[in-house]
Amino acid sequence: MLRRLVISMLLAAASMCAVARTRPHYGGTLRVETTGDAWQPPNGLARRLVFDGLMQLDANGIAEPALAIDAESENRSHRWEFHLRSGVHFHDGTALTAGSVVASLNAVCSSNCPWTSVHAVGTSVIFLSDSPMPNLPQLLALDEYRIALVTSDTTGASNVGTGPFQFAGAANGVITLTANESHWQGRPFVDKIELRDHRAVRDQWLDLSLGRADVVDVPPELLRLAREQRLSVITSQPAVLLAIEMNDAGPLANASLRASLGFAVDRASLSNVIFQHQGESAASLLPQEMTGYSFLFPVVRDLNKAHELKGGLNVSPLILGADNDSTMQLAAQRLALNMQEAGFRVQVTTPLHHLDMILRKVDVPDMDTGAALEATIRRLGETPVSTEQTAIAQYQAEHDFLDKHSVLPLLFLPRGFATSSRILNLRLDSDGMPMLADASLEDAH
Amino acid sequence: MSLRQKLLLLFSLTVAAAVAAVAYTVLLRIRDVFEEHDRQETALFVSQFQRAFQHRSADVEAAVQHLAAEERVRSMAAELAQTGDGSPYVTAAGTLAQDAQLDFLEIIGADGKIVSSAQWPARFGYPEPAVLQPAQHAFLKQEEMPDGSTQLGLFAIRGVHGPEPAVHLIGGIHLNRDFLADLPVAEGMQIALYTPSVANDDAGTVASSTAFDAANLVTLAGPLPYGTRYHSIVLSALTTGQQTGSVLYLTSRREDSVNATAIPLRNESGKALAVLVVAVSRAGMVQAQLHIRAIAYGIAAAGILLAIVFSLWIAARVSRPIEQLASAAEEVAAGRWDVRVPERGRDEVSVLARSFNHMTEELMSQRERLVQSERVAAWRELARRLAHELKNPLFPLQLTVENMVRARRLPEAEFDEVFRESATTLSMEIANLKAIIGRFSDFSKMPQPELCRIDVSDCIWRVALLHFPGLVRSDSRAMIESTSGSNIKCTVQVDTQPLPIDADPELLHRALSNLVLNAIDAMPEGGSLELSVQRREGQVEIRVSDSGEGLTPEECERLFTPYYTTKEHGTGLGLAIVQSVVADHKGTISVESSNGDQKTGATFIIKLPLAEGEGA
Repeated sequence: MLRRLVISMLLAAASMCAVARTRPHYGGTLRVETTGDAWQPPNGLARRLVFDGLMQLDANGIAEPALAIDAESENRSHRWEFHLRSGVHFHDGTALTAGSVVASLNAVCSSNCPWTSVHAVGTSVIFLSDSPMPNLPQLLALDEYRIALVTSDTTGASNVGTGPFQFAGAANGVITLTANESHWQGRPFVDKIELRDHRAVRDQWLDLSLGRADVVDVPPELLRLAREQRLSVITSQPAVLLAIEMNDAGPLANASLRASLGFAVDRASLSNVIFQHQGESAASLLPQEMTGYSFLFPVVRDLNKAHELKGGLNVSPLILGADNDSTMQLAAQRLALNMQEAGFRVQVTTPLHHLDMILRKVDVPDMDTGAALEATIRRLGETPVSTEQTAIAQYQAEHDFLDKHSVLPLLFLPRGFATSSRILNLRLDSDGMPMLADASLEDAH
Repeated sequence: MSLRQKLLLLFSLTVAAAVAAVAYTVLLRIRDVFEEHDRQETALFVSQFQRAFQHRSADVEAAVQHLAAEERVRSMAAELAQTGDGSPYVTAAGTLAQDAQLDFLEIIGADGKIVSSAQWPARFGYPEPAVLQPAQHAFLKQEEMPDGSTQLGLFAIRGVHGPEPAVHLIGGIHLNRDFLADLPVAEGMQIALYTPSVANDDAGTVASSTAFDAANLVTLAGPLPYGTRYHSIVLSALTTGQQTGSVLYLTSRREDSVNATAIPLRNESGKALAVLVVAVSRAGMVQAQLHIRAIAYGIAAAGILLAIVFSLWIAARVSRPIEQLASAAEEVAAGRWDVRVPERGRDEVSVLARSFNHMTEELMSQRERLVQSERVAAWRELARRLAHELKNPLFPLQLTVENMVRARRLPEAEFDEVFRESATTLSMEIANLKAIIGRFSDFSKMPQPELCRIDVSDCIWRVALLHFPGLVRSDSRAMIESTSGSNIKCTVQVDTQPLPIDADPELLHRALSNLVLNAIDAMPEGGSLELSVQRREGQVEIRVSDSGEGLTPEECERLFTPYYTTKEHGTGLGLAIVQSVVADHKGTISVESSNGDQKTGATFIIKLPLAEGEGA
């Protein structure tokens, strides 16, 4: 009997330990390192932690209320009214008002906005537009429209928001964010996040291996290596579009030349070699998983077609800019080599003014197709045309946009992160970014 | 040019030519020696370079071989062979190249395509022709770079041991100016590397430019100075693929010249991809040559100077006896027959000198005999004249004395008368004798002239007016005529311009009077006398012409001989005195008379020098 009792007690203790092992703990300091700028719009890590949006996307990419508790559309989506959540305060204690939301939105979006005007009426924020805004709730869930406190002595947004963490200070390249105890969604698990940005990947990995970091970047081209090195890696669905933006003035004013370049590029070599099989060749703005029609845009290289479209024209040397990042530079060099085979002379450089082409990454939100298409086009600096919410209309809109040959999609890339063993419950958001506010630490007390 | 000068010139030219020939030969030989040394030095460097190049080739081969044998590379090759996926190794070449200290490295898969490239990472997947026929040894290759340029490199290919078909490594190093740093360089030597420019066409084909671009000719420190001067040998080496050498003058100064050698750097097919230029400065050689030349010139100049001095001595020694002979001959010609020349040695010149001396002795002896005979003849003439002159008065004296002796017998009155007549006759004859003696005495006592500046015209007029008082003096050149009582018409013709001479007016007057009196005596039956004076050839020419009987050539020849006269009662001293006066005034006198039988008269011509400073 006693024996049974002891065994039962041991089993119970073991099961309690197991539950305790998986249950989130409050407290602790989470150390995050990243290659990008923590405050860089739209999705700098610090921005996502300090600021909230009127809306937010759930794990499935569905827009849900955040600072706004609900939204009403009128006049066939030409007018939207968002009612603000009451009792929300900025980190400095300032109450969130419709006026402060309008000021923040005006600060971050001065042109090419989804709306024509925005104004506050009581506790509501009113959006008006000349064209329908059926995707406005999804768009307002994007990182670029997060709300920051705009004070009278600042012309832009400050680092004071309503998010789960508040800015505590920055020293020696480390940004310290502390938990917002009065966050409207409740206090985050960790007490503090130390965020080190502009950190080289190899240094991040070294810090991770030495226990000096909990979350580090894993670029797509290093995902395989990270796995080979047995790092704990989490990856997203395709979330970043690698594309070439072309200047439709200057040497590439002729659309046939731009189309020729589209047939000259070899997406397979980019995907399979440079990005180590992590990329997904694409000739569309949105991935196949999202739209279902991306296969209609050909990704195969056709040099003959490229030569045919070039038509023997003598084109002055083109300048292709890319970030001063080894992989992006390598990809740009490869693209230049591809284009050279089609009869173009291309010089690769780091981004400067007066570029003929620029190789860049564009974040692709995981949301409703129409909204994602509009958001992606806006992120490419173009103005989308309103379409019906049907797959055919969306395909046609994307096709019309790509037919201008001002943007040449190349690959969809996932996001990847490596974590330490002390971190618990770290998941990736629908846009592939880590949900740090939901993470907890195993050794927290 | 004198004999001495000719000899001096001949000797000097001979010696100078000899010295110049020797100096030229020596300098030529020295230049040949220096240039041979230069060539040897260049050839030595070229062989050193070739050895260094071979060492470098061996280093590259060893480095690539070492890489190919490394375990990580063999593992990579095995995985490549197994999976055929080269993507994990797309950046491997960069790491391997860095570890092996290679500038170029490409990993070539079994399919002959690039798996990874250190120098152009984006070229993965492109074929590499070099592996089709892998070279056993290191070779040169122009490697294309991402920026469109090409770089010359020394490459080696090695297969990775293990899998079949083999994975190859192509590794290499830059052959740029850094490569020059390891080459042995002597003082005054410059090494430069020329790589031709390349151009990419639209099809991506790379072609070397055949035009010379001096900016591509670089040394370790930068562009080679005066690079354009090397274009001929560089292009020659590039096009022919053969080593080319030449002396290049970089500036107008000879010191700024180099002995340049262009060594083509060829690839496996023998095409010259680049040219290594070795330029050995000739400054030291040229300076040494100039130094030696300066010394040679100094020695030559000193030799020539000594030769001139020696030639002077030789010429003087040879020409002095001849000059003495010439001088003595001139003196003999001037009448000084007593001159003698020294007789030295036994050569031809001394024989000539002895003959000359003998000749002058003979001349002196003959002249002495001639003088003595003339003196005897003169004394005879004098005696004859004296006898003749004295005989005339003596005969009346003798008759008078004999009359007086005979008259003693006459009555006193008659005696007295005879005595008085005889005494008168005696007195007259004695006076006559005195006059004769006086003339002889005057001839022997010719005074020295007291020169003063006079105008000859005045003297002419004075003489003319003395003998022809009826003349009227005129300054014109017009002829003035006057007739004396003896039916002689006198004409005076003088130059209108002044005719100054330095002369004793009295002596000149006396001489001219003698000529006028002789002319008058020559025309006993009247005639015309013409006095004229004019300037001619820097002298004053006085002419006294008569229209008398004239003179025979014999008379003309002896007319000025003392005591020679054609007159019945003449002493023969008048013209001698005239000649003496004229000679004392440094003048000459001559007589012209064509033929006495035709009564063309005679003309005495006196030429006197114009006063000093008036000759022009």
